[in-house]
Amino acid sequence: MSNIPTVGLEIQGLTKTFNTERLEVVALEKVDLRIEKGQFVSIVGASGCGKTTLLRIIAGLEGDFRGNIDLEGRPVKGPSAEKGVVFQEHRLLPWLTIEENVGFGLVYRPAAERKTVVERYLRLVGLTQFAKAYPNQLSGGMAQRAAIARSLVNKPKILLLDEPLGALDAMTRMYMQNELEKIWLEEQTTMVMVTHDVEEAIYLSDVVVLMSCRPGRVKKTIPINLPRPRRRDHPDFVGIKQELLEEFQLQAKDYFTYEI
Amino acid sequence: MQTEDAREAQEVKSHRRKNVATGADSTTTQSAGTTSNRKEEHSMSAEQVSVAKPAILQVVRAAENKVETRPSSTLKRWVGERVLSGWHTRLLGVVLPFLLLTAWQVSSSLHWVKPIFLPSPWSVIQTFREMLVEEGLLTDFRVSAVIVIEGFLIGAVFGLAAGVAAGLSKTVERLLGPLLNSIRQVPPLAWLPLIVLWVGIGPLAKGVMIGKAVFFPVFLNTLQGIRGVSKDYVEVARIFEYNQRLLLRKVVIPAALPSIFVGLRYGAGLAWAVVIMAEMLGGKLGLGYLLVRSQELLLTQQLFVIIVIIGGVGFSVDVVLRRMEGNLLRWKKGFEG
Repeated sequence: MSNIPTVGLEIQGLTKTFNTERLEVVALEKVDLRIEKGQFVSIVGASGCGKTTLLRIIAGLEGDFRGNIDLEGRPVKGPSAEKGVVFQEHRLLPWLTIEENVGFGLVYRPAAERKTVVERYLRLVGLTQFAKAYPNQLSGGMAQRAAIARSLVNKPKILLLDEPLGALDAMTRMYMQNELEKIWLEEQTTMVMVTHDVEEAIYLSDVVVLMSCRPGRVKKTIPINLPRPRRRDHPDFVGIKQELLEEFQLQAKDYFTYEI
Repeated sequence: MQTEDAREAQEVKSHRRKNVATGADSTTTQSAGTTSNRKEEHSMSAEQVSVAKPAILQVVRAAENKVETRPSSTLKRWVGERVLSGWHTRLLGVVLPFLLLTAWQVSSSLHWVKPIFLPSPWSVIQTFREMLVEEGLLTDFRVSAVIVIEGFLIGAVFGLAAGVAAGLSKTVERLLGPLLNSIRQVPPLAWLPLIVLWVGIGPLAKGVMIGKAVFFPVFLNTLQGIRGVSKDYVEVARIFEYNQRLLLRKVVIPAALPSIFVGLRYGAGLAWAVVIMAEMLGGKLGLGYLLVRSQELLLTQQLFVIIVIIGGVGFSVDVVLRRMEGNLLRWKKGFEG
């Protein structure tokens, strides 16, 4: 993206353990990760690998961890508007209209400013004509687009996406991947997306981070240097996909054996 | 092969058409249906200009923009939406009262029952007019109504405040819990002797009783409503750095509102019932007192008048509250039968 790489997010030695009554689960162990400003980074890995935990820690929603997380040089302390989050479920408030939902993060701003900002982002995600609708009147894809708009209104330094397209059907998903790329190119926000869809990760990302399971660690960081817009049937694309899936296969051996 | 292609094209087209239809109707999706069909005609051309995009994306977009409309049940479709909609459906509720009234009229005009037990509907209406004009029925009504409104407001305000406080803080909930729970076990009427001893038999005693009766359903439903607020929404508010007050106003209260309304409606019903009971037990004014008096004097017509008034008022209050609820909770769509 940017010509001079500047550090966006830097994670060093991040370890997180969950203590339940009987056992201690190490969710993340010594995770190191460096994301340049403006990059699109995907985190892939089998379910239960701590991907979501990692994202929630970056978002500030999960505390009590060891290690350092710096966002553009400043340590992360709790949730804040400079870290946008898109969850797997859209989490739009059902009692607010779409425009009120999109403006949810702008309560501290004057009404006139709120109005113009909301209009701009509704246009960005193509929901202008649905401004007055309620979330239960929208399809899953539209609701997720509204959720993305809501997370962008504060111009966050980083946008964290937790399997944002996971609940959508295959066709809608492909369409939304293009939308997401378009939004990223237009907004130039640093984006970190958790997904378990390898193809989606390669299609969208500058860097794919592969995580290993139990404990969650960064296994491999794979830069994707394909020109955009990418073609899913391009030999290089297919090659990278093959390589990543093989890594998954290696993991798959102990994928179904749980130790409790 | 060719026919299949053609069919596919047709499908894409109809898909797109649906898209346009729902899209144009976005702001008034609730009244989807006939209006969207008409709008479809002129918005079609606009959509057809932009065929430059790959067809597949068009289909996806169509699927994307599909707005869910209310599913109509098979029954409604068979009987025909028109027959069972609007005022027709509402009239259905009048059928049973009308039959009852007819049976009443018939039995009294054929002298099946002595008028002292069951006076004719007409004589009841006559009595109502007499009571209204000559006996100051309105005064008694006003006395009851004022006590109910005062008692309800006091109970609702305290119930809401305590419910919100306990809902927001576990400490407050633990502090209030045992005391309130034991007070709740004693029915409103059981408090009457003590309340009369303390503050006499006047309107204050009745107000206190009603307030107490209204307090609990409002308190409990508010508390339960707040406890039921999804953590997911609270997280969204945390991300946008909402303070406690904003969180309460923008997230917690709206989310708990359906439950709060259940409490308020139930409380309103209780308030009206309690004031009648309290008036029956003491005092010289109010609808409850009139009930006791007409029974003692064997004025059965008056008994009927008052019973109808009590029922009618309770019904109207519930209708008004339900309207309010419907307006405030427009976003909530449940099973509609």
